[in-house]
Amino acid sequence: MKISTKAIHGDRTNNDPYKSLKFPVYDSVAFEFDSSKEIEDAFLGRALAHTYSRISNPTLAELERRLAILSDAYGVVVTSSGMAAITNVILSIAGSGANIITSPFLFGNTYSLFEKTLKRFGFSAKYVDFSNPENIENAIDENTVAIFFETITNPQLAIFDIEKIVNMAKKHNLLTILDNTLATFYLFSSKKWGIDIEIISTTKYISGGATSVGGAIFDFGTYDYGRNKFIASDAEKYGKNALLVRLKREVYRNTGGCLSPHNAYLQLLGLETLALRIEKSSTNAMVLAKRLKNHKKIKKVNYPGLEDSPYYNNAKKYLDGYYGSILTIELSSKSECFKFMDNLKLIRRATNLHDNKTLVIHPASTIFCEYSKEKREELGVGEGLVRISVGIEDVEDIYEDVIQSLEVL
Amino acid sequence: MQLVINGETKDYNLQNLTVFELLKIENVKNPDVVTVQVNGKFFSKEQYTSTILKDGDEIEFLYFIGGGK
Repeated sequence: MKISTKAIHGDRTNNDPYKSLKFPVYDSVAFEFDSSKEIEDAFLGRALAHTYSRISNPTLAELERRLAILSDAYGVVVTSSGMAAITNVILSIAGSGANIITSPFLFGNTYSLFEKTLKRFGFSAKYVDFSNPENIENAIDENTVAIFFETITNPQLAIFDIEKIVNMAKKHNLLTILDNTLATFYLFSSKKWGIDIEIISTTKYISGGATSVGGAIFDFGTYDYGRNKFIASDAEKYGKNALLVRLKREVYRNTGGCLSPHNAYLQLLGLETLALRIEKSSTNAMVLAKRLKNHKKIKKVNYPGLEDSPYYNNAKKYLDGYYGSILTIELSSKSECFKFMDNLKLIRRATNLHDNKTLVIHPASTIFCEYSKEKREELGVGEGLVRISVGIEDVEDIYEDVIQSLEVL
Repeated sequence: MQLVINGETKDYNLQNLTVFELLKIENVKNPDVVTVQVNGKFFSKEQYTSTILKDGDEIEFLYFIGGGK
């Protein structure tokens, strides 16, 4: 079965006791048991039963099951947001003194998580240029536990040579963690390319067009957790389930980053139209990128689907026929960006991706506002950069709005 | 032979009992998603038929709710 069909039907298993064709919202905090022994067994993991919705819930479990079918993951845990997904994974596989190797081309809040929040607990991230995988190898030391990167970086829109990065990680027995939010499993298969752990902000494409906040962790069952001293004890007891158990019976449970059952329901609905929305928004983005790239008011258009993009070859190799719905344009200054954005009549000024509506933002003054201008340049976020998350409207209307707004510059 | 199954001691009059056979005898629910531990250590599916249990072994059949295989 093709992925767009699986997104609608799953594996055709209907786990609802009333055979509801849409899986219902089990909006209950707690689940009761017929005996004390049964509840004890559930807490010890000796019975397959839900106890408390911070730990598990039938609607969440159905979303996890459906995401596992679509991504071909060994196990999936859904979380309250994409940031919660990243935090849960790092807290599960690292500890004081551990480091990860990553690229400076990261989502702003991910960078802040590594550089501020987790740094206070003795964790560190080493930033190297991923365009040359040798840089990664040179940065690895005895405390390195993982290599972390994004499929299409946000907002730099870089796509690295994933195969080389994965080979490097395997050579050094390191876990690979991929933020696949911009591509999703529809455009990039982590399983196929040997990624160990994928995380996604399901708020974006999965939710059905910005209906709800959520995240997901996908474990492909490929990593030997016995290689990592921070989780080796669980690997001995639980084998390839080590991370899933660490999450469900410790980190995810203790940090309380659970998804709400209502959001899980909305995201199950969103999954059904995933293929349509990705294809339409990506097609729109390609049309816009091609038409805008020679516009005299625009210094540069960045889109990995453009043949002159430095990332085009990797995009072609790794993405499944579409190049995503995010493009950026470079104007001459921050004030030019603000003028352009303020004159838009249809496109909305908002900080999100993959909404059904086309959205625009100036990353330097928003997502990256907590950093100096120099630091932002280092992170690939210039003052003249405008990010456009292309929606599923008629592309002629989007194009017309962009053109009329460029005219005021 | 005595085995401790999920905390309960049970007698078995069988020779060369494997994990695979025990799963059937105990009628373990959802065997495709169960995690098997013998004396606190994980046993993979590939080990089920080759692992012969011995007197006094403690076996846990565990479930961790979440999507997947």
